[in-house]
Amino acid sequence: MKNDDLVICRCEEVTQADIKEVISQGVTRMNEVKRLTRAGMGLCQGKTCGRLVTGILARETNQPLQELKPPTSRPPTRVLPLGILSRTTQDDD
Amino acid sequence: MRIEDHPILGKAERGKRITLNVDGEAVAAFEGENIAAALIASGRRVFRYTAKRMEPRGVFCALGRCTDCVMIVDGQPDVRTCVTPARDGMVIQTQVSRREGEATHDLEKEKD
Repeated sequence: MKNDDLVICRCEEVTQADIKEVISQGVTRMNEVKRLTRAGMGLCQGKTCGRLVTGILARETNQPLQELKPPTSRPPTRVLPLGILSRTTQDDD
Repeated sequence: MRIEDHPILGKAERGKRITLNVDGEAVAAFEGENIAAALIASGRRVFRYTAKRMEPRGVFCALGRCTDCVMIVDGQPDVRTCVTPARDGMVIQTQVSRREGEATHDLEKEKD
């Protein structure tokens, strides 16, 4: 298996090839990679692929790692059924 | 296969024996151990199938971060089995990750 076929974002099944593809079209920031490939939008919100994608982006665009701000991640950072949010405090008493 | 006598953690203290209903089959477990451990001890590796490529997934990080071990537990999808303690009578189903919002698919129908 060539490296590019490796799945980088396990939740959204995004491969290194997908990521390199958008980078070759001139993407330079993490949020752009996320929005175009969905890498980092899955259930774990980038906990698994965040660093990997940053490494690929840094290498492909030879930007220093420190300058690559992590993408925005959407709360809740923990997997949470929405039913919990809809219950008001009175329901709990 | 369970580790009974761990070189560092020492002898395993087990909760009482319980039974989990996993996709209709009874799986023996110990109360308090996490669901993923019980499933792996029963020889089961595949916990879910991914949405896009229908690929089998199971325990990956084993510490509650990667969500690769999620299954449907007592009707609720996206439950991380590697950090969820097992309780007697839990109904656990393989999760075929959602496409168009449908949590459970008929596995055979999906495969052909």
